Amino acid sequence: MRFGIFFEMSTPRPFTSETDLLVYHNSLEQARLADELGFDWVWCVEHHFLEEYSHSSAPEVVLAAVAAQTSRIRVGHGAVVCVPEMNHPVRVAERAAVLDIISGGRLELGTARSSTWTELGGFNVDPDRTKKTWDEFVRVLPRMWADEPFAYEGLCFSMPERNVLPKPVQKPHPPMWVTVTSPGTELDAAERGLGCLGVASTTYAEQERRTREYHRRILSCDAVGGVINDQVTTLNFLYCHEDPDVAARTGMGMVGLFGLNNAHLLWTREAYPTRAYQSLGNLAPGGGADRSSPGDPRGVPEGIAVGDPERVIEVIRRWEDIGVTGINFLVNASETIPQEQVLDSLRLFAAEVMPAFGGDRLAAAEAGRC
Amino acid sequence: MLSGTAALDDLAAAAATMSSLHPEPVTFEGTEVFQATFEMSYSGRQATLPPGLHPTTPPLLVVLAWRVADSPWGRFNMAQVRVSCRSGVRPRGFVLGGVADTDRAVAALSGEWGLPCRLGPVELRRGYDRVTLDAGPALTVTGFDPDPLGPADVQFTVTTTLAHTPRGLRLVQVEPQYDLTRAERVQPRLDRFEPAAWGTGVAVPRGAVTAAVGVGSVSLPRLRFVSRPDVMAFEGTEAV
Repeated sequence: MRFGIFFEMSTPRPFTSETDLLVYHNSLEQARLADELGFDWVWCVEHHFLEEYSHSSAPEVVLAAVAAQTSRIRVGHGAVVCVPEMNHPVRVAERAAVLDIISGGRLELGTARSSTWTELGGFNVDPDRTKKTWDEFVRVLPRMWADEPFAYEGLCFSMPERNVLPKPVQKPHPPMWVTVTSPGTELDAAERGLGCLGVASTTYAEQERRTREYHRRILSCDAVGGVINDQVTTLNFLYCHEDPDVAARTGMGMVGLFGLNNAHLLWTREAYPTRAYQSLGNLAPGGGADRSSPGDPRGVPEGIAVGDPERVIEVIRRWEDIGVTGINFLVNASETIPQEQVLDSLRLFAAEVMPAFGGDRLAAAEAGRC
Repeated sequence: MLSGTAALDDLAAAAATMSSLHPEPVTFEGTEVFQATFEMSYSGRQATLPPGLHPTTPPLLVVLAWRVADSPWGRFNMAQVRVSCRSGVRPRGFVLGGVADTDRAVAALSGEWGLPCRLGPVELRRGYDRVTLDAGPALTVTGFDPDPLGPADVQFTVTTTLAHTPRGLRLVQVEPQYDLTRAERVQPRLDRFEPAAWGTGVAVPRGAVTAAVGVGSVSLPRLRFVSRPDVMAFEGTEAV
């Protein structure tokens, strides 16, 4: 089981340069600590115009800073929105390669197509085409990183022979992922040999079904690149504290606010009827869980990593049992939790929970830095 | 988090009055349905909503119309304008105003269901190349170039409407259920929109997003929830 932290850069009102500065600087500090503690990934999303929910519009810049300030943790550029109105595929390939170089071969590239009207409408994107353009992007990116020169004639873009430079450090290329929100996208990932970067809530049962089908399909995939990434991650919240009541009270404040901001997003389907977006959009992590479960008197939903170390281990063990290979954690939302408490939660997780999943990561992290 | 800033007294002055929260459920078979979506200015996103609701970003102005062939209130046409919003975590459309072309429909929609509605001309005409919704001087929308969709691809958001009820001034959750047998997407063009006719000076449509037209049954089931308009839904929701 591998662990990551996941940045949405959710930001409380009023929007001032001070609040944005605080959110970004706190995130960088969390990334540095996660690196020291033995976390495997730090992911940073790409979103545009999503007030409060996510001010993470330039993740490649954030990740360049993370790469420069860390030595071991892998940097997850994810997910890049694969529609040409937002990102030309050549620019995606170039930025990813530079990040891979800057980080010394630590890049993971997530791909996505955006799911809110706020973003798609803001860039004047036709929602009917995003699945097609995403597919085209993920097929050409590995070629751009390998071919010298590269030329292409396609649906969303064409270009004459050019050498897309620089090339990434990792060979044949960095691991590629696709964010999974709508049911069925995990099959798109499997058929292309892409990792499954879960960013929406599911129940244990639903995740188990999806993971089983993903692993079955990927065995016969037509890989888009030179390497198959068969990892399955889910998104979760993390707040770990020795006192389970404190953990629940503090952690659920974060979960609740994030869920509320998530519910206030304007999903594409609400504005624009289309076959290309079958679900109403992603739900807040935990939203699909059984909130009325009598099993947890503190009201923490099923599957959410909020609690004392014992409970968090139990939750992660359950995800592991159903085939999930990694969990990415949101560790704060709109600065609900004071930074020192967030850092303490990460330290406690590393000290008490991580050892239950794969040996001494602190030692490994230390060795990695050496 | 943003919340509505409209003055409740102003909204209440235009609100419908319901004698009961238990209207008889109705189903309209063979109804032509038209829904057009426009973005509206950010400046109006809070000013159109009561404090108990939250705006979406961007705010959407949604025009909805029914051509009802048969109902307990006879044959009628109805047009309604609403604004996208959230009640707690739930997607909702807050009704700004409505118009129907028969006295019986106006009485039922406003008196039984709490939907603001006045008497006026409404026509929904559907051709192979276009759909036209004409509500006299208040509104004209034309939708061009129908493109087939799956009937389930069109999403209709649950309605919330401010009404004087036996419990006082409440947001009434009206949940029309649509069972379409055919649906098409059309590109809308707003030919005429008179804000005052819909009880608003700030909800002004700007860019057209899209529109859909369909045929099927529309049901108004029993009311389940109302909420206080002055506080958030978590605090002010009441079961009917």
